[in-house]
Amino acid sequence: MALPLKTRFFFSETGDIARFTGRFFSHGIKPRYEITEFFRQCFIIGYKSLPLVSLTGFIIGLVLTMQLRPALMDYGVESQLPGMVGIAIVREIGPMLTALIFAGKIGSSIGAELGSMKVTEQIDAMEVSGTNPFKYLVVTRVVAATLMLPVLVVISDCIALYGSYLGVNIHSVTSFHLFFDQVFHRLAFGDVIPSISKTFFFGFAIGVIGCYKGYTSSKGTEGVGSAANAAVVVSSVLVFIIDLIAVQITDILGLN
Amino acid sequence: MSKKIIDNVKLGIFVMAGLLLLIFSLYMIGRTESLFGSTFKLRTHFKNTNGLTKGNNIRYSGIQVGTVKSMQILNDTTIEVVMVIEEKARTYIHTNAITSIGNEGLMGNKVINISPGKGFAPVVNENDIILSQKSIDTDEMLQTLNKTNENIAVISEELKSTVLRINNSSAIWKILNDNSLASNLKIALENIRLASVKSKEVTTDLYTVINDVKKGKGSAGILLRDTAFAVQLNEAVVKLKQAGDNANRLAEVLTNDINKINNQIEKGQGVITALINDTSITLQLKRTLDNIEKGTDGFNANMEALKHNIFFRGYFRKLEKQKKKI
Repeated sequence: MALPLKTRFFFSETGDIARFTGRFFSHGIKPRYEITEFFRQCFIIGYKSLPLVSLTGFIIGLVLTMQLRPALMDYGVESQLPGMVGIAIVREIGPMLTALIFAGKIGSSIGAELGSMKVTEQIDAMEVSGTNPFKYLVVTRVVAATLMLPVLVVISDCIALYGSYLGVNIHSVTSFHLFFDQVFHRLAFGDVIPSISKTFFFGFAIGVIGCYKGYTSSKGTEGVGSAANAAVVVSSVLVFIIDLIAVQITDILGLN
Repeated sequence: MSKKIIDNVKLGIFVMAGLLLLIFSLYMIGRTESLFGSTFKLRTHFKNTNGLTKGNNIRYSGIQVGTVKSMQILNDTTIEVVMVIEEKARTYIHTNAITSIGNEGLMGNKVINISPGKGFAPVVNENDIILSQKSIDTDEMLQTLNKTNENIAVISEELKSTVLRINNSSAIWKILNDNSLASNLKIALENIRLASVKSKEVTTDLYTVINDVKKGKGSAGILLRDTAFAVQLNEAVVKLKQAGDNANRLAEVLTNDINKINNQIEKGQGVITALINDTSITLQLKRTLDNIEKGTDGFNANMEALKHNIFFRGYFRKLEKQKKKI
């Protein structure tokens, strides 16, 4: 194999991640399940991320509405603003924004946490004490991330729509009922289901990359930092790639 | 341990909130797509669907009642559209309802409008086919408009030449500029008005006359209406004719007689001829008459004397008494 070093490194890394994912499934399916740890992780990953995600969601809804308004006014279709913002938030901005914030917050924290555990040899100690560190640390975190991100996205979508409602009401008066009627009038199952489905994959990717980077971090305090950093960067890029694939799949399935 | 429970409760609330919001939004979308609640299917055929797609709204007299479920091409001129309609709208949709494809706004999505038909018809059943109406197509509209425009161009050209001719004609302008024309016209109209009043009176009279005639009143009425009179008239005419005939015959007889007399006169025969032609006879006659006169005078005197005679006086007195009695 006369591949350049960087290319070889890239492919070996990809292979390692794939193997890590396979290991996750083989360990995850087998009992005994770490239920308590799983709930703890859900609390940390899901509930603790809610304020941050809510804030960003609210701001993006408000800002998007205010930014779209002049363009729609040029065409005289200002009344379509709720429908347009609703589609934009539910289909793309809600899942993507939440996933990126989630990657920044959770990907880095998992990477750093597992990285420091690896560096301080806590993982090796766990293995010695008879606990399966992979099950206890990786499987719980990945499953928690996979299941928590969709919940976060749904809540964030709603908060963003509320922000949009306030944004519409800055310049004109629309009742809450009319606003949501207009939003849901434009929305179809083909908008909601694919966009919620892909967030499971986002969450899974973020969890797997964070855990992989932390679990395989090199020795030393430098390794912890680079693990956290790489976890955020790679998981963010993966979120975009998965989004591209998801849009193409929904297009092929005719759900658009 | 208690902190862990609190954390779990928070997590539970968080997850439940997310799930409830998701279910709520799915329900809201499902409601607009009428996937929940009882529905029934209706079919309609179009020649051209003008870009109708699955999921487009269906409105009954402007109210959202369902969505388009599917569309399929049956043959080269027929496209079948299957519509999902809410069950609660079924009682209002009759089999004579008419569907048409319209727009949501000027440039919005296509919608199917169901409008109620005229007259009575039973309520629709599952999978009934309702009739469709050709929708107004913008292309066709523009084509018609184009034709109209061409016609208007021709008309305006003609109008232009007419106006030019009117402007060039001095006679019309003379009439229009003549001030006396108006007063003359006014007088003429006044006369016409009076004439019409009179004619109204005349017709009223005529009407009563005609009415009388109809009823058989007056001589004309009898003449026209009385059948007995006609028979009498006929008899009278027949009799008149007979009288005429008799007069004719009489005249002939008279002519014959006169001719005979004439002949006798000319020949100098008979008494009359002698009277007419012999002058001496007249003198003799005169003398005779004188003599008769003298004779009668004498006779009168004799008679008077007789009355006073003693033998006959009683008889005459008796006559006078009888006269007085009467």
